[in-house]
Amino acid sequence: MVDSLSLKPEAAAPAHAPAVKRGRGRPRPPRGSLRSRREAWAAHLFLVPWFLGLFLITIGPIVASLYLSFTDYSLLDEAKWVGLDNYITLFTEDPRFWTSLKVTTIYVVVSVPLQLGFALGLALLLDRGLRGLSFYRSIYYLPSLLGGSVAIAILWRKIFGADGLVNAVLAIFGIQGTSYVNNPDTALGTLILLHVWTFGAPMVIFLAGLRQIPGSYYEAASIDGAGTLQQFKSITLPLLTPIIFFNLVLEVIKSFQSFTQSFIVSNGTGGPTDSTLFYTLYLYTKGFKDYEMGYASALAWVLVVIIAGLTGVNFLASKYWVFYGDSK
Amino acid sequence: MRSLKTVALLAAAALTLTACGGGDEGGTADGKVKLRFSYWGSDARQKLTEQAIAAFEKKNPNIDVVGEFSDWPSYYESLATKVAANDAPDVMTLEIRGLAEYAGRGALADLTGKVNVADLDQQVLATGSFDGKQYAIPTGVNVFAMFVNKPVFDKSGEKLPDDTSWTWDDYIKLSEKITKAGDGTTFGTEYTFNQVYLSMFAAQRGEKFYDNGKIGVTPETIKAWWANFDQLIKTKGSPDAAKMAEIAAAGVEQSLIGTNKGAMGMWWSNQLGTLAKVSGSELQMLRLPKAEGASTHGMFLQPAMHWTISSKTERSAEAQKFVDFLVNDPEATGILLSDRGLPINSKVLASVKDKLPPADQQILTFVESVKSELAQAEVPPKGGSKMEDIVRRYSEAVTSGQQSPDEAATKFLEEANAAIAG
Repeated sequence: MVDSLSLKPEAAAPAHAPAVKRGRGRPRPPRGSLRSRREAWAAHLFLVPWFLGLFLITIGPIVASLYLSFTDYSLLDEAKWVGLDNYITLFTEDPRFWTSLKVTTIYVVVSVPLQLGFALGLALLLDRGLRGLSFYRSIYYLPSLLGGSVAIAILWRKIFGADGLVNAVLAIFGIQGTSYVNNPDTALGTLILLHVWTFGAPMVIFLAGLRQIPGSYYEAASIDGAGTLQQFKSITLPLLTPIIFFNLVLEVIKSFQSFTQSFIVSNGTGGPTDSTLFYTLYLYTKGFKDYEMGYASALAWVLVVIIAGLTGVNFLASKYWVFYGDSK
Repeated sequence: MRSLKTVALLAAAALTLTACGGGDEGGTADGKVKLRFSYWGSDARQKLTEQAIAAFEKKNPNIDVVGEFSDWPSYYESLATKVAANDAPDVMTLEIRGLAEYAGRGALADLTGKVNVADLDQQVLATGSFDGKQYAIPTGVNVFAMFVNKPVFDKSGEKLPDDTSWTWDDYIKLSEKITKAGDGTTFGTEYTFNQVYLSMFAAQRGEKFYDNGKIGVTPETIKAWWANFDQLIKTKGSPDAAKMAEIAAAGVEQSLIGTNKGAMGMWWSNQLGTLAKVSGSELQMLRLPKAEGASTHGMFLQPAMHWTISSKTERSAEAQKFVDFLVNDPEATGILLSDRGLPINSKVLASVKDKLPPADQQILTFVESVKSELAQAEVPPKGGSKMEDIVRRYSEAVTSGQQSPDEAATKFLEEANAAIAG
């Protein structure tokens, strides 16, 4: 873990990236020289706006929310210190907390592997030297840009509504469907589908990863008589594991924080009957609708711990299945 | 490749901790006293309100009223954020559900003796008080009633019920008959989980929704109420649960009555104009059905909204003047008419009566005909703004078959009581 954190320019850039040239091409002035100090000063100056933003609208609120999570802050009056009350209530007396956690977990556990599998499958197809690759890549990437948007969520409501597109198609075959977004058994499924549909971003990353696998490996393998499946299992998959890992970590975190889809598709209620009550939606409801901002802050911190924990587990587990070419 | 791990780690850290923030804008005053006034609604309401503001500024040239307008879904979120940032508008529009939330937390100024309320309906005015203080002045009133889409109803060949005596059973059977008489695309009724429906249903059985800091509705009453929906769905008097949820979420314009696909439905009276307009049909208002042997329909006049003044304002005198203008000045009501409910100032109402559009005339006639039966509206306690969501959630669970009525009733009372405790 530790050595992976050291950011050497040589190590940070893939073989063909221009960054390598920049890192090697310019001689570094010795440490402590006038020039280096002036450069450092200029660098800090340019970083000021970013730091201001980081401290004022990111770190500041984060620290404030940690404090608020120990208060009964209601938005409308002063915050009173209540110690661990919010956290205790959350774990012992709040069934909706568990509901939202369950819903979100199902969403993540089902949709992320599906989405990544789909992305990998398409990336493999597109990687076979298809004509007009960049066109397909753009088309498939589009849902990733749109998937989190309000417009698409509204479109989803229409497609899976009682008189929506899905039922119109089913009607051709004489099947009478229900309103999928308003049925507690199917509502979450429509959101999972929406998430899988946004497979474009991981697909593009997979494509880039596939491009980095040297063609000579495959040549050698085919000379040795390995079939397509064997090649995929023994070359593509192992060499792609860092990419899979990267996508997995990112998507798990992103989907744990999903909000817009459930907010719009359920009209802000998490309904029907809490079947689409995402964790962040519950947090939002508590803070802004029920005037329990202190409690909502506690929810936020529990989410931070959950995601950090999951990411930690992900990193630990990665030792056993992720193969880095340079670490033999 | 190893570097990817680093990038993943950094991205993970950044994604985990990032949240979104919002902005706020200020304004300037040119020697005038600037008064900020927040309200929600449609474009039409915004236009009317701007006209009323202009009329007020003409009479009070030293005051500049700045309307802070937002749509309904985001209204409370943005208002609460402003209050939290010590940036509360001087005059705020709230609903009855928001009253205890804001007044109970010291966000509202006591208006007792500050605004002239002599000509207002005193029973309705009482709904603006909390802990014995007049924190809010009602803008106007609505009444919850059964709407009938006449053309759809008449097509079924059924006779309009006598609304002084019809029972819930009558209503359910009638709905079934109307659906059966139709061609499969129309329904007898659409239903609603509106909390006021449950309140009135409970009142008919002698129970109050809020009773001394607790939920006064018994499990039997809630189950009887849910049984109504169940019956309607089973007999096809109404669409099924999923379809109904979709209709309810789509809003007034997409309702069955509004689209001429349903004969009956329960609504607040201020929706009559919209529904009449979108359906193009003649609508009629009826009293809600009654429980067997009940002595009352449980009807009451609900304030549509409340005018309130922030407790932090430095412009109390001007804010009071503005609220006074809105409720007592015939010119203001002449512009706003019944957009925020039927005016409760008897003198002002008399002066604008003839100017009211047909739908409002109809509401006025209905309200006058039931006047002697009206009870007092309840002011929900602190935490009451959660109730609409709680009622809807458990009702959905029961109608969609996710929970048994027994289980849901127990859990509902548990959660509802917890919401208003402390």
